[in-house]
Amino acid sequence: MANYFNTLPLREQLEQLGKCRFMALSEFADGVEALKGKKMVVVGCGAQGLNQGLNLRDSGLDVSYALRPEAIAEKRQSWKNATENGFTVGTYEELIPTADVVLNLTPDKQHTAVVNAVMPLMKEGACLSYSHGFNIVEEGMKIRDDLTVIMVAPKCPGSEVRAEYVRGFGVPTLIAVHEDNDPKGEGLALAKAYAVGTGGHKAGVLMSSFIAEVKSDLMGEQTILCGMLQTGSILCFDKMVEEGIDAGYASKLIQYGWETITEALKYGGVTNMLDRLSNPAKIKAFDLAEELKQIMRPLYNKHQDDIMNGNFSSGMMEDWANDDIKLHTWRAETAETNFEKTPAGDVEISEQEFFDNGILMVAMVKAGVELAFETMTAAGIIAESAYYESLHETPLIANTIARKKLYEMNATISDTAEYGCYLYNHACVPLLADFMKGIKSDVIGKGLSVEDNGVDNARLIEVNTALRSHPVEAVGSVLRGHMADMKKIV
Amino acid sequence: MTASICLQNLTVNFDDRFKLSEIDWSITPDQHWVITGTNGAGKSALGAVLAGAGEIESGTLSGVPGKVGLVSFEAQAELIAQELKKDDADIMDVIAEGTPVREMIFNDCADPDLASELVEKFGLTGLLDRAFRKLSTGETRKMMLIRALSSKPDLLILDEPFDGLDANTLVMLQEHLAAIVDDVPMILVLNRFDEMPAFITHVAYVDKGRLTHTVDRQDETAFNELYQLLHLKTTDLDVPEADPASTLPALDPEQPLVNLKNIRVKYGDDVIIDGLDWTIERGQHWQLSGPNGSGKTCLLSLITGDHPQCYVNDIFVFGFQRGNGESIWQIKQFIGYVSTALQWEYRVSTSCKNVIISGFYDSIGMYTKSTDKQKEIADQWLALLGMSDRADQPFNKLSYGDQRLLLIARAMVKHPPLLILDEPCLGLDDMNRQLVLALIEKICEAKNTTVLYVNHHAEDQIAGIENFLALTKHS
Repeated sequence: MANYFNTLPLREQLEQLGKCRFMALSEFADGVEALKGKKMVVVGCGAQGLNQGLNLRDSGLDVSYALRPEAIAEKRQSWKNATENGFTVGTYEELIPTADVVLNLTPDKQHTAVVNAVMPLMKEGACLSYSHGFNIVEEGMKIRDDLTVIMVAPKCPGSEVRAEYVRGFGVPTLIAVHEDNDPKGEGLALAKAYAVGTGGHKAGVLMSSFIAEVKSDLMGEQTILCGMLQTGSILCFDKMVEEGIDAGYASKLIQYGWETITEALKYGGVTNMLDRLSNPAKIKAFDLAEELKQIMRPLYNKHQDDIMNGNFSSGMMEDWANDDIKLHTWRAETAETNFEKTPAGDVEISEQEFFDNGILMVAMVKAGVELAFETMTAAGIIAESAYYESLHETPLIANTIARKKLYEMNATISDTAEYGCYLYNHACVPLLADFMKGIKSDVIGKGLSVEDNGVDNARLIEVNTALRSHPVEAVGSVLRGHMADMKKIV
Repeated sequence: MTASICLQNLTVNFDDRFKLSEIDWSITPDQHWVITGTNGAGKSALGAVLAGAGEIESGTLSGVPGKVGLVSFEAQAELIAQELKKDDADIMDVIAEGTPVREMIFNDCADPDLASELVEKFGLTGLLDRAFRKLSTGETRKMMLIRALSSKPDLLILDEPFDGLDANTLVMLQEHLAAIVDDVPMILVLNRFDEMPAFITHVAYVDKGRLTHTVDRQDETAFNELYQLLHLKTTDLDVPEADPASTLPALDPEQPLVNLKNIRVKYGDDVIIDGLDWTIERGQHWQLSGPNGSGKTCLLSLITGDHPQCYVNDIFVFGFQRGNGESIWQIKQFIGYVSTALQWEYRVSTSCKNVIISGFYDSIGMYTKSTDKQKEIADQWLALLGMSDRADQPFNKLSYGDQRLLLIARAMVKHPPLLILDEPCLGLDDMNRQLVLALIEKICEAKNTTVLYVNHHAEDQIAGIENFLALTKHS
């Protein structure tokens, strides 16, 4: 199999990368009609598989689970998940031939094996659905011509996909049709009905392409989302300890700090996150971020380039073939970092204190979000996609770190994200070594020691203007506006 | 009055018409009480007992001082009856005028100066020579007040003393009472909290012949809750209407709301429910009970569609045989639901008013624009709960009990064909519990909602529920 993206002419690569449109609620007026009465068979019963299946069934659709014979015979967790929730469970041979839609909700790494097993069993003209395009785009999986291939990707963990549905809402969802596999022209109708079935249409649906999804998703997850927060956690913790700050306090400031500061990001973008700081601290954070951006830009470019030319995925697939040796080594290293080994201290940190004493963390988030966004859009990814894969998802990972710290965060995210995260971290920690030498506790751990909060007017205006005029803020405010319209939690 | 008045497990019979039961109450000389409750609850009777009315069946009443000044409608009626008895003049062939007011006030008067002053203040000077029974009801009431106040009582019991008084007289009387609080303990029977004078220190709440609450006015929380309770009980409990724009599909009247056949639920090897049949007909209110772990909540979630095993059981609800392409939202539109689990799940930062409105949409939080009519209905519910002032406050900042009240309103707001109340009173204090029970009774009376009530507190019985299902724990 060859990298599918690389087989396309530049013209088409750019066209596919540029696909991303926020759909109107009225486009979902047909509800789940296109899937009514059709047999949907889910392959994979992990968090996404189970929770999407629960939602689809509660929306009136016919859902069952195809598991490997050994999972059934040994009554593995996936078998328990499916049967205790009252689903029909069978082997691939039993269920796939009956399926009108096969939902491949297994991890990326298993896609080739799963699709190779499933495809020959699928009936003529059926639909194969993915929630991530890696297998098609990076591995170049070729799907039978008579099959329709779509993607429906809820942009949240499986548990949240379910929780929001039960509340009567949904999570933002990305849909796409693989244009090479849309023989009957029904791909979009099926993808829309699927998104309605999981409740996604209520929270906003982005119409994208397999390519845009893969290339932007990979870039976001390995740089700002996971990589930057991992590197930032390790560097900030070690610096605070070096500066004589209580290790328990340092650990807590980081573990919960990402979540708190990115909550401000979620509500009002980078601007609002920096507006939470005092004026002198804001200017300080701005300057640090500018410096960080300059140092890290080549790294972001490299990640984006490797993703675009396929080096990243081929490197990772080599590791897959090599029993994940690199991944496992890096994972073990994460467990051994000082931050990971130091439990959060029993100290009160107020919401505002996370900002005041975490100026460097704010600067890192700003630098990472803007760099990822700038790099993605420079590579031809449309601003909407770039926004979702950078700024929008950062709070989700921050929230995971708050609950689980780094090791468990890495175990929770996809293998692809985890591998990319470690790659980034390994390059970024040494890259920032010199920069970190100049860092003191005033920007991480203690807060600025200033006589008063006076600042130069001209400088403040300059900083505020720069913040507010960044392109990620423009697209962000439009998209957050859409979301607020839909998610009218007053 | 120097000693405390003590009522211990006191049961008093009033000519077999009414009974006060098992009253425990003590009144120290420095306290001033208001007795309150709904009409017919027994608050006047409780006041009158202290003045010697009724026949004690059991228990003890001690410490009542010798001289009790009592003003009440009952005492007024009795006085009038006595006067009418004197009018046996037909045998004397003279026109009997009856006792003049002056005599009624000044004969046996302990403090004539005070009496004169009060006659002046109450505006009865011109009526002193009129026969008592020629007075209007209001004038009679004033005369009785003068008599009681000027009798130098050791205990003053005033039953609705402010009723029918014009504004000036009312202020005058309140001022007078305030001036004598240090001399005589007072017990006022009042329907309305807003008439409660500032000097009142304690409130007693009577319900169905029982003294159910005694509250120290200093205890603001308890006082406010009692206020809400009384407010609810004395407001005519007009349950706000459903949303007239609602487009709920009509149900076939021939079919039961719910029909469960041979229900089996198990987790792994743990059997929770085994072979249960249950039919809920329209208008058939049910109470479901059983110990923890007997599967009550599980059974309910099969009906609401929240239990995943509803797809592998024979479940017919609201015209749908489950598992045939219906969505859970088609089921939930017929159900109003409240449970502890719902409250636990209801963790969104939204206003109190929106929480009620979300009942129209079966959602947790609001994701759709509500209509003006829905907002209006939500306002009516807030008023009914005595929570209008909290309409825009964030729900998650409220007390557990207040949250629960709002979720109960949320469940009821659309007048669902089936109202499922799973331990609605759990975690509520005593007063809020009564408030909720009163609301449920009201809903049961209405024809359009069938109530399914779950609890394991035997005392929380709801009038109108006549069907019972008791689950037992599977071992």
